[in-house]
Amino acid sequence: MKKTVLIATLSLSLLISSCATIISGSKQKVNFRSNPAAASIFIDEVEVGKTPFEIKLERKKEHHVMIKLDGYQTYETNLTKKFNAWYIGNILFGGLIGIIIDPITGAIYNLSPDEVNAEMSKGTAFKVNKSDVYIAVALNIDPNWKKVGQLEKLN
Amino acid sequence: MKKALLALFSLLLFSCSPKITTSFETTAKALTIEDKVAFLDLHHAVPEGAKKIGNAHFQDSGFSTDCDFNSNLIKARKIAREKGANIIKVTEKKTPDLWSSCYRIKVDFYFSEKDVTKIPQYQLQIN
Repeated sequence: MKKTVLIATLSLSLLISSCATIISGSKQKVNFRSNPAAASIFIDEVEVGKTPFEIKLERKKEHHVMIKLDGYQTYETNLTKKFNAWYIGNILFGGLIGIIIDPITGAIYNLSPDEVNAEMSKGTAFKVNKSDVYIAVALNIDPNWKKVGQLEKLN
Repeated sequence: MKKALLALFSLLLFSCSPKITTSFETTAKALTIEDKVAFLDLHHAVPEGAKKIGNAHFQDSGFSTDCDFNSNLIKARKIAREKGANIIKVTEKKTPDLWSSCYRIKVDFYFSEKDVTKIPQYQLQIN
């Protein structure tokens, strides 16, 4: 019986060491949607794809995000690092290794979007759940573009 | 003991950036996000006529974690834009080794009137 308890305790301590790294991982999934779709997504000024798009980003870095589409105002946001509560698991359960490992892997952080330009907040939605970030943007028409016509629906 | 733990915790939380030392002889008008900045690696040549305006040294602070090559260049680009430089030339590069898990680099900042997107350069990688 004592052996079982000992093994269980040891296994548990191993499992809960590096709490945030095990639970959250060193990367975080970020989903991008835009209306209209097919807008180019730039992360740290590197084009990574077109909306709708999903990418895993390192938690230990802050990322600058731009969503660009011709004829629409560019949308900008920063994905900043926020404290990941799973890190507390190391303190609560005594996962001393985790106290060191989680900051190294970046799992101590959760990425969270911050608006850069408040004027573009209309129609923009952020959702951050346990592991993923969702960014949905309604792009505003560029006022410098002149409307020259309108497509009509055929009957 | 509590104070030591608190200090360690704070260090781990906030000391993940590399130590950056900069020196600028002159500064130009700050660049906007729309102005392109070129990264020149060791083997890339600085275009003729580019004016050197400063330099920076990226080191391991001892607690640095966000210090890979691309991260350092992204930080250098932020400094370059503030100081009005549109070319970042890597002059020295130490790869991670037994003593440090960081890239330790030295860069020079230049301003060129030319279109910097046209010059051969290092392409930044995401992840």
